Amino acid sequence: MRDALPNYFLLDTQPKARLTPEVVTEACRQLKRNRAQYLRDMPTEEVITHLSRLAENWQDDLFPFRKMALEAEPTITGFSRPSLAHGLDRFFARITEDNLHNLIAQELGDSRRLDAPLSTPEERSDNRLAFACGPELIGHIASGNLPCPTMMSMIQGLLVGSAQFIKCAENAGWLPALFAHSLYDTHPKLGACIELAHWPGGKSELESPLFDEADCITATGRDETLASIRARLDSRRRFIGYGHRVSFAYIQKDMLSRALSRDLAQRMAQDIASWNQLGCLSPHLVYVEQGGSVRPEMFAEMIAEALDSLEVTQPRGDISPEESGTIAYKRDFYDVRSAGAGDVRQWKSEEGTHWTVVFEEDPVFTTSCLNRFIHVKPVGDLNEMLRVAEMARGQVSTVGLAAPKNDAEAIVKQLAHWGVTRVCPIGQMQDPPLGWRHDGRPPLGDLVTWTDWEQ
Amino acid sequence: MTFQSYNEANHAITRFIERGEGEFDQLAFALHQLQAKHVPAIAALCQNRGIDSATLDQIDQIPAIPTTAFRDMAITSIPEKNRTSHFESSGTTATQPSVHWHHEVSLSLYETSLIRPFQHHVLNNHVWSGHILALTPPPAEAPHSSLAHMASQVLDDGTIYAGKWQNDGWSIDSQTCESACAKAIHENAPLLLFGPAFSFLNWLDSTEGSYELPNESRIMETGGYKGRSRELPKNEFHGLLSERLGVPESHIVCEYGMCELSSQAYDRKAGTNKERAFRFPDWARPIIINTETGAPCEAAETGLLRIIDLANVFSSIAIQTQDLARSIEDGFELLGRAQAAELRGCSLNLLQ
Repeated sequence: MRDALPNYFLLDTQPKARLTPEVVTEACRQLKRNRAQYLRDMPTEEVITHLSRLAENWQDDLFPFRKMALEAEPTITGFSRPSLAHGLDRFFARITEDNLHNLIAQELGDSRRLDAPLSTPEERSDNRLAFACGPELIGHIASGNLPCPTMMSMIQGLLVGSAQFIKCAENAGWLPALFAHSLYDTHPKLGACIELAHWPGGKSELESPLFDEADCITATGRDETLASIRARLDSRRRFIGYGHRVSFAYIQKDMLSRALSRDLAQRMAQDIASWNQLGCLSPHLVYVEQGGSVRPEMFAEMIAEALDSLEVTQPRGDISPEESGTIAYKRDFYDVRSAGAGDVRQWKSEEGTHWTVVFEEDPVFTTSCLNRFIHVKPVGDLNEMLRVAEMARGQVSTVGLAAPKNDAEAIVKQLAHWGVTRVCPIGQMQDPPLGWRHDGRPPLGDLVTWTDWEQ
Repeated sequence: MTFQSYNEANHAITRFIERGEGEFDQLAFALHQLQAKHVPAIAALCQNRGIDSATLDQIDQIPAIPTTAFRDMAITSIPEKNRTSHFESSGTTATQPSVHWHHEVSLSLYETSLIRPFQHHVLNNHVWSGHILALTPPPAEAPHSSLAHMASQVLDDGTIYAGKWQNDGWSIDSQTCESACAKAIHENAPLLLFGPAFSFLNWLDSTEGSYELPNESRIMETGGYKGRSRELPKNEFHGLLSERLGVPESHIVCEYGMCELSSQAYDRKAGTNKERAFRFPDWARPIIINTETGAPCEAAETGLLRIIDLANVFSSIAIQTQDLARSIEDGFELLGRAQAAELRGCSLNLLQ
């Protein structure tokens, strides 16, 4: 498949061509030259137009790059074709002209702030203007199995006018590279400000030239990985690290009426199925408040039915023996548990390891082995849930919340004080809006540097 | 064939181990039937899955108990008041260990099961005349370590123990190791080193020294690293042992065992250069299970390792491990542990 694409990026020629520190340095310098020539002074409006058109194309079944993504072997993309199509559609649907304008306005106070010094009313009263500049070169140390976070980083970097060097995780570069090719194809000058490569994490002889050339490094990974990268950067370089996170759902009892619960279970199942549950935003478990018309155990069964239906329209697809082995082993374990005691129940796909729902009375926080394996646990109330989830505190990204409007605000405040950085409706956990503050940090605000102009 | 009592089963299995009397499958089915009556977890599992223990005709149909279930419940037919000892898995303090309960009779069977294969693979059926260095604590200090117990059974009284028990495992006293090596070299008497892989690494990483141990010195290493040392691929680990201790790879034997089992597999006979493959003794059989279908794998296909261990008379004859394996020749090769996807993905691993 890759043979059909031209060799624009280092990743295209790997592993045949060996990377050397000199190649990385030269690539970084070329990126910076290209950025100065093509991107730095390109009006934001123009960047937005190109990006939104590209995103629109990606939702068109006839767009060659989309076709290439969906015709690729699932072993390359890591997802079944319908699941990938669903994920790509939901991702690109968010990249619209309006949303991109709003993102910059949210972050910088005005969507033209990257083009010229301007003032907000507050600044005007102070008689000053301000101008935001993106980094000259951002180095991204990407991670994970999902293409979306990497593509989102690329889009954000382009918006602030930065050249970008993306170090892809192993076997995770194919879709981001395809996206970069589509950008190159649509607008070669924008594409020329992007480079992608892969090397094993921590390979310092290749990372050092990137860390020397880039003025901003972003990284996603384990806390130790982030700490080691931070330690290797000199103080003049900006570092934005995203640690590993988990997410879960909380269903308040008033939402468990017979009328609402089935639809809720279907949306819950979508959150579990999206990107095969592999992202930081996918739920590991569902806490269900006791006392609703539908008991937590019954809700677990409804999720199982919904996952079974989803297997028809968005099949999970094949996974490695390592992953399915974990599921098979865990299923055996819960089988023994459920046989021995009445407080555990398990539902699973009839054949294969495609989906599994485990209901346990014990509310202790549990991580899932993912790939559509969900734990459902009852809790007395929100306070109990926060108590049992204490061990995950500080590492939680998203809580999918189902609660009546009147109660939601109080719940969100409590979650925020506890450390949760995103609360969303069930069914949208894997679809954060463009302006989402990843780990509670401003997405563009962290990238730019301001120049204040006092008059 | 059925067993009316555990006494009868114990005798029959002992005869099979010692003299090869009887037929594996028949003993397995009979023992499973007995366990399905007397081990509550197995009884419940059979009922839950609608398994009629009397009608099984393939040993892979015997319901297997996953190793982690030994953490959660007592997988044993031994009544609580008769349980005189137990072995624990060597996990970290954060996780509850697996517990395999024993009494005098089960322990005696366990010992019968472990001695001969050890002598065959590690000692080539000779009486060991050299020195012995165990990288475990003395058995009395670590009564719940099946490996330390094994050391007490297969090694002799003169064994030097370099392990020191600490609250959640053991550390290695490198001076003890060094003086044992120096003594062996000085006397030109071969040294047998015995211990878990992480203890070897902890020792060798803590010193610079390297040795040229006398001819016929040998190593039995076992187990993974369990987060207790840095991790090395097997061949690099063996390379390191060879380089630092002067023991050729032909004399490094890997053992595969766990507290949930009563039998152990070995991957070569000391002094041979045949391609490594783990083999259990005749009274234990590995079955590699397809992770998607639950059926036995085709030859060379990767799956989860399950073991039918006849010596597990008083617990569960069928043990489901979390280890990925693939069959090679008449044995199997370990391919690592099936680990949760979160280790690869962008979600974290808070607990197992």
